[in-house]
Amino acid sequence: MKPLTGAPSPAPLLEARAITVRFGGLQAVGDLDMAIGRNAIHGLIGPNGAGKTTVLNVLTGFVRPTEGELVFDGAEIGGLGVNGFARRGLARTFQNIRLFGAMTVLESVLVGAHQRFSANALSLVFGRRAARAAEAAMIARAYELLAFVGLGAEVADRVATTLSYGHQRRVEIARALISSPKLLLLDEPLAGMNAVEKAEIADLVRQVRAQGIAVLLIEHDMQVVRRLCDHLTVLEYGRKLADGPPEQVLADPAVQAAYLGRAR
Amino acid sequence: MDYLGQLLANGLVLGAIYALAAVAFTLVYGVVRLVNFAFGELFMLGAFLTASLMLPEVRLLGAIVPMPGFSLPVAAAGAIALTAALGVLVDRIAYRPLRNAPRLAPLITSIAVSVVLQSLAQTVWGAEELRFPEFHLATLPPVVLFDSIYLSVMDLVVMATALAAMLGLSAFIARSSLGRAMRASAEDQMAATLVGIPVNRVVAAAFAIGSGFAALAGLLYAQTYGFAHSSMGFLPGLKALTAAVLGGIGSIPGAALGGLILGLVEALGSGYLPNGTAWKDAISFVLLVGLLYLRPQGLLGKPELNSAGRGSLLGGASEFGAGWLRAAFGKLDGGLARAASAGTPAALGLLALALVVGALLPSDYWLRILTLVVIYGMLASGLNVIVGFAGLLDLGFVAFWAVGAYLTSILFVLVLKDQFGVEPATIWWLLYLNLPLAGLLAAGFAVMLGTPTLRLRGDYLAIMTLGFGEIVRVVAINWMDLTNGPMGIRGIPAPNLFGIALGSPRAQFFFALALAVVVVFAIARLVRSYVGRAWVAIREDEEAAEAMGVPTARYKLYAYAASGFVGGFVGVFYAHTQQYISPLNFSLFENILLLMLVVLGGLGTFIGPFVGALIWIVFLQLALDLPFVQAYPETRFALLGIVLIVLMVFRPQGLAASARVALTMPGARPANAKEAA
Ligand SMILES: Nc1ncnc2c1ncn2[C@@H]1O[C@H](COP(=O)(O)OP(=O)(O)O)[C@@H](O)[C@H]1O
Ligand SMILES: [Mg+2]
Repeated sequence: MKPLTGAPSPAPLLEARAITVRFGGLQAVGDLDMAIGRNAIHGLIGPNGAGKTTVLNVLTGFVRPTEGELVFDGAEIGGLGVNGFARRGLARTFQNIRLFGAMTVLESVLVGAHQRFSANALSLVFGRRAARAAEAAMIARAYELLAFVGLGAEVADRVATTLSYGHQRRVEIARALISSPKLLLLDEPLAGMNAVEKAEIADLVRQVRAQGIAVLLIEHDMQVVRRLCDHLTVLEYGRKLADGPPEQVLADPAVQAAYLGRAR
Repeated sequence: MDYLGQLLANGLVLGAIYALAAVAFTLVYGVVRLVNFAFGELFMLGAFLTASLMLPEVRLLGAIVPMPGFSLPVAAAGAIALTAALGVLVDRIAYRPLRNAPRLAPLITSIAVSVVLQSLAQTVWGAEELRFPEFHLATLPPVVLFDSIYLSVMDLVVMATALAAMLGLSAFIARSSLGRAMRASAEDQMAATLVGIPVNRVVAAAFAIGSGFAALAGLLYAQTYGFAHSSMGFLPGLKALTAAVLGGIGSIPGAALGGLILGLVEALGSGYLPNGTAWKDAISFVLLVGLLYLRPQGLLGKPELNSAGRGSLLGGASEFGAGWLRAAFGKLDGGLARAASAGTPAALGLLALALVVGALLPSDYWLRILTLVVIYGMLASGLNVIVGFAGLLDLGFVAFWAVGAYLTSILFVLVLKDQFGVEPATIWWLLYLNLPLAGLLAAGFAVMLGTPTLRLRGDYLAIMTLGFGEIVRVVAINWMDLTNGPMGIRGIPAPNLFGIALGSPRAQFFFALALAVVVVFAIARLVRSYVGRAWVAIREDEEAAEAMGVPTARYKLYAYAASGFVGGFVGVFYAHTQQYISPLNFSLFENILLLMLVVLGGLGTFIGPFVGALIWIVFLQLALDLPFVQAYPETRFALLGIVLIVLMVFRPQGLAASARVALTMPGARPANAKEAA
């Protein structure tokens, strides 16, 4: 951690400046400024179709913004490929779970650790000790993370896509965490879960943050958001409606209108 | 100018024929998103049927059969109608059950249908060319344009017919309700189903018209060149597909445009390039590859066609077949899955079994066959890296095999023996140097060919790699100085170790086995590491793999390289056991065969390729004991095709659907470590 040298607020971890995304004629995100603080749990909320997933896609390189720039950890990252975003320390989950079919839980999680391996083909073929040690270390780490997200070691060898929905979500989180990211981006991780599971995942998010990893969380449940997040950004029709601490944002009449005026 | 004019005229005739066949590909692709490789064979059948109906008698299955002896137009109409009916039948039997299956299943079926039709045609009409009877218009004097360009009356008839057929089709699509429904399905199949267009009828119509167009193209081709032959549809079929892709597959004006461009480029190329006639086939494929690289959607096509679903190339369950059949498949699958995941002890057991068989088998004949099984198993393992693990459908793999075989043959025979008079026995060790050298060369080659394909997916990837494979074959045939051309290279020495000739079938079998151990071991070590996990992740969900930090482009190239390395490595040994190689050894058919072996035995497993090779090659030999097969050996290929079609229809997920291998290093797991301690 950098020492705080008297500056009132250190530079944010991730800064998105004037992001606009157009799909053909449709503007999904308009002129959005957003800053995610170091060690924050940052909520991104808004009605369905507001552009939340698109923002998350922009922040992870999946969607190239039509305009705007991205600064992560002090460096411009807009030009990188998707894997470059991951290598810089941005790890994500998907709104519709995307685990690899035909892979076990352990193997799926290990894919997330890809950037931690460096053995070349020859040392793999000849089974050099360093290559084995790296593999063993990452497997041990994967087991730790499975325990961390609340999965027992016995699921490690099951094909990931055969697990229950809630467990698949946890595998996805473990797969994102094993790369030791600086920012974890979760797209509606609580969707479709019961109250107990929701509390467990919320707790998990807090523990992630306790390890020094910032979290961007897309979520609809206002109770959870209020309790969990330090900072909220509200989107409506791709534009920023409000931004600030939860209490302040959720009390904003414009936000209440956006939410109460609709089903959610 | 006269020369140019003549070339242009020839190009137009050829282009008209390509355009007609391209319409077949494009029409069906537009409606069902299927590259129906079998159109090349329907093209050939159109030619055979027309010729047969025009003759007073033909020899069918060895017996003289009287024929009506129609004139060309009547015979052509009959042939077109018959071929169209056959096309609809093929769709009904082989493709319709697979409408919702993932990408590889229908593609394999269409290749299998090609193989069946071609073998059957050879069985029925024989292996020789059938002379195409002369039509009376053909005896008229040629038309002379500008005093110098000669066009036979039949050339004009060909062009006029093609033009009329195209205009007729356009009118049909614009005016008739079926035609409009066809266009609607081509635009958006989902929406077409929703608005109540009877999709099966539309598809049947597309197959009927497409097959009719293919037959028309084939009979015009045969008329122009004067013969029909069972393999005549292969190259024109690929070129028509090229033309369709060139114009943007799915677009009918595009197909016409692509056909004309291809015909003209080919005619001009063969006229103006040095030794152009020999290289004209390469010209088309270079055009194809270049276009797919620069503009994958084709000239008039839509970009979204360059896409593919996620997951293994095979998958989905069949809605057909009785319960017991499913249960039987399930049992077999379970067995193969257990075998695939049994790991090192099972592998050692199999190796021990192979050693015992190799030591005790008395028959040299069967030892040779088993050597071939091991060779094909190794090659299929190499292909399996790219197709089975990384999920990239590569139809150009044989090129890597050819690189290895040619490297060692050229060095040993054409350079050292012929140029420097070095006796092969004195430099026996060169073989052992060539094995890794050829592997590296082929790997480099694979990366070179793989790089431009990185942006392509699904069918387009298959078509582009196929184009590369064909280019390599044409080069091998025509670069006489380097490869000896179609004559091939003879007198490649048998393997030799410290002066001891390993020429006996038994020694060669053990040699092959030793190489197989190396190949399987190396592949297994790579697959059971982060590299293999990256490959499988790419196969299952490329975008998610990227998001996990996998540089997918680089890992695809690694897969090409690994696969190429195996191809080159095995190619060296192959050349030394066969002692003779020619471009014929490295045809697209071989590539397809290898693909079939992997599918049979289990995609993405280590033993699958060997299981597939064992089943196929042993079957190939055993079938020779049947009297019927003795009389018509090519029916074995028809049988392979039929088996594959049946397999795909009843079990599109492949025999070993649930077979998977562990993707972590053995011994690196905490539980194992505890056991060992
Ligand atoms: N790849 C895409 N192409 C076209 N439109 C898209 C694409 N992704 C999202 N959209 C559109 O952008 C808008 C915002 O979508 P999304 O970001 O998924 O919203 P949210 O996650 O807030 O529900 C929606 O209208 C959606 O249809
Ligand atoms: Mg969303």
